[in-house]
Amino acid sequence: MKEDAVLGETAALNRRDLLVRGALVGGSFAIGFGPAAAQDNKGKVADTPAAAPGAVGAMGDPELTPWVLIAPDDTVVIRVASPEFGNGAMTQCVALVAEELECDWAKIRTEAASTNRDYVTYGGYSPIHPAAAFFGGRSTMGQRIKAMQQVGASARERLRIAAATRWGVAPGEVTIAKGVLTHAASSRSLRYGEVVADAAKVKLTAEPVIKKPAEWTFLGKASPSKITIPAIVDGSAQYGMDVRLPGMVYAALMQSPVHGGRLKSYNADKVKAMPGVLAVVTVDPDEPRGVAMMSAAPYGYSLTGTRAAVAVIAEHYWQAQKSLEALPVEWHDGPGARWATTQAIYDAAIAATGNDINARVEQAYGDVSAIDAPGAKLVKQTYLTPYCDQAPMEPLNGTALVTADRVEVWHPAQNSQQAFWVASDEAGIVPERVFFHQTLVGGAFGRRLESDDVRMVVAIAKRFPGRPVHTIWSREEMTRQGKYRPMVATKMTAALDPKTGLPTAAIARQASRGHYPRFADTAYFMGCIPNVRVDARELPLHVTPGPYRGPGYNSYTFFQETFIDECAHAAGIDPVEYRLRLLEKWPNPGWAKSLKEVAKQAGWGKKLPRGTAQGVAITGWGLNGQKTLGTCVAVVATVEVTRKGALTVKQLDAAFDTGKVMNRDEITNLIEGGLIFGLNMALNEEMTVKDGRMVEGNFDAYKILRMAEAPPIRVHFGGLSGADRYSEIGEPPVGTVGPAVGNAIFRATGKRLRRQPFLTQDLSWS
Amino acid sequence: MALTFQINGKAHQVDADPDTPLLWILRDHVGLTGTKFGCGIAQCGACTVHLDGAAARSCQVRAGDAAGAAITTIEGLSPDRSHPLQMAWIENNVPQCGYCQSGMIMAAAALLKATPKPSDEDIATYVDNICRCGTYNRIRSAIQKAAGMVA
Repeated sequence: MKEDAVLGETAALNRRDLLVRGALVGGSFAIGFGPAAAQDNKGKVADTPAAAPGAVGAMGDPELTPWVLIAPDDTVVIRVASPEFGNGAMTQCVALVAEELECDWAKIRTEAASTNRDYVTYGGYSPIHPAAAFFGGRSTMGQRIKAMQQVGASARERLRIAAATRWGVAPGEVTIAKGVLTHAASSRSLRYGEVVADAAKVKLTAEPVIKKPAEWTFLGKASPSKITIPAIVDGSAQYGMDVRLPGMVYAALMQSPVHGGRLKSYNADKVKAMPGVLAVVTVDPDEPRGVAMMSAAPYGYSLTGTRAAVAVIAEHYWQAQKSLEALPVEWHDGPGARWATTQAIYDAAIAATGNDINARVEQAYGDVSAIDAPGAKLVKQTYLTPYCDQAPMEPLNGTALVTADRVEVWHPAQNSQQAFWVASDEAGIVPERVFFHQTLVGGAFGRRLESDDVRMVVAIAKRFPGRPVHTIWSREEMTRQGKYRPMVATKMTAALDPKTGLPTAAIARQASRGHYPRFADTAYFMGCIPNVRVDARELPLHVTPGPYRGPGYNSYTFFQETFIDECAHAAGIDPVEYRLRLLEKWPNPGWAKSLKEVAKQAGWGKKLPRGTAQGVAITGWGLNGQKTLGTCVAVVATVEVTRKGALTVKQLDAAFDTGKVMNRDEITNLIEGGLIFGLNMALNEEMTVKDGRMVEGNFDAYKILRMAEAPPIRVHFGGLSGADRYSEIGEPPVGTVGPAVGNAIFRATGKRLRRQPFLTQDLSWS
Repeated sequence: MALTFQINGKAHQVDADPDTPLLWILRDHVGLTGTKFGCGIAQCGACTVHLDGAAARSCQVRAGDAAGAAITTIEGLSPDRSHPLQMAWIENNVPQCGYCQSGMIMAAAALLKATPKPSDEDIATYVDNICRCGTYNRIRSAIQKAAGMVA
């Protein structure tokens, strides 16, 4: 099996190379997480510039594989490549290893796997699948499940052989439980920590066979609380913001207020004498940069460009920020300034949906000419979603130390490999001498994926070489310099069959800037409607788009599920029943099952007082063009709207199908959170534009739901199909909840909401 | 200028401008990074600490005004994660990204001190911090669980 050649103990083949290159090999981030780690972290600073660990771990303990090392006290360090930003990926990756390693869960600590080491060992951390998938992405991807199980199984078997050899018995006579090896016949036992040094020298002749899902005792059964939580609740968790290094200084950042603008002038003399100020530096997006080599950045560099910026560097952040506010700066706004209002952008987008100039076909099958047939029963509406900011709670920030021949970065990235390569490119330093330390991430939601933030951090630090520079975006700077969920306008038309009321043909015409407005992964536009055409147009807008939780999905689900609701209404058919009839042609049984489950659990159809109503939506994410893959989520929202138009979301019910689930409580947590996130998007979120500048800067203007507005949520597991996959759950709920609430508002008030956010619109009724 | 702070029962002498927000004194001068910077305008509550036992958003507290007060940060809530809220947080698998949670716990701890048996409405009113991951319902039930532990 090819994949074994680079896994587990056979990674020793690379060790020779590792030792040769020892001086270049970075250690992993030594601040770990897990029950065994939190106490160690107290009062500890992040590690100093990486030492060369060679064949031992950063703690000096014997390393079984690049993924696993065990200390004499039985602490098991499991390295994780997938960054932890609230998705539970770190815990899940550890659980995959632990299922096979049979170690004591309470003695596990985790570290981020080193991207540098992965590079210099020719992909030592990313053996089976293209490396990108392993330093980002989700934890329950099929290949990762197998790879991490194999890591655990290999380590376990080597420990077993080491114990058997010491006792002079056959390995098959050694049993293992909770990190203890036992030879029952002679009543002898050893702890992992007692044999790990021997085990590190054991070479397996063949990789052990990993357990089948039916043999799992932990995965899919236990729901361990996340391994990061002990450090979170005592304040010792180390986010990017918490990196503290000897000699570290701080930078406060200001970028062109109109996206795409350039720096015209600034007067550093006005602030140089202010307390703590060390330097004023600029960042020029037009200057040449880069390393002359083929990049393996998973998302490339084209989305990572810096903006024109000026930054003040000072001994303390507060000094830097106050001095920046006092700094005289002038900007060339560039062409973006011509957009005087948000409405002008909306109008341009809606107008563009009316013609076929530069239209690019995204999805087409069958013949949509039924829409043009005389006398066709048409439903035709235009929808719009606004710019939204991801607004993670940890403001953008990162720390870099640049010297003549190396760059070291401590950063909360969403994909450490993207960050690693961007750091190399910006510093102009070959990847062998780039040391990227992944920290815990205080929320990402797409904002930290492309690593434009890493580029800015390095761009500033390279102008102040020799000392670690921690650059912090103020909340206002971050919010106005976003990479937003794109504004999308969509015109949708359907011809309804006069007998069944179902669409015989549908067209969606979209306009946006950003490559996300697709109708991929939607059952109706993947086969349930027999004739379909979806196209998209790029608009010359200056506001920078980016991934936002459920890219594309977070917009088109609103269009699709509102539109289908309108079709159901036009056909005079109950919205749940209408969707079930459409889904009769859909080969993935989890959809109808989830829809029926949520309708049953929410009491769909029950009598409700006037002004109170239920709405429904069902959407799918992660199908990647395959009808029987991905996750579907069905939501019933129960809302109350007063005659004056005050909205209360009384209850959200959700059912879903990920195939199977690994950690039931964590799935529940992520669905609850995803529903709240999507609800806030639909109710509150809108970044507006004035004279090219983004207006909202902080949570006083960009509202986020608080506890008092968070509705009760019930997550139902009866939609699970049991299909052989563990599809993702972080993004799917985000797209479903908004249209479910909008459809409920329609049924409560008769007002059809075709634009988000809802709470800026008049919901009154009589 | 030299300022002296009583933080988690220990005196800390810091040389800083008295206009510096307490948040940055804690984080950058004293090195207590459990208190988080989220918004800087007292909206999100990630920077919540206790000043003489009451919850305060430290981004809006002048250092000069905090000198002399008894300051408690998340690091000083308990020596070993044994505060009922910390235990309930772990048991209920409350956080997702976790960045807001030390502020949430500090706000909840002040609430429980003043109102040992809070109603759900008390909790929602008093703990009005922002959690972008949307863990509010778990936060509420963890606070109720902790209130039960204290009984």
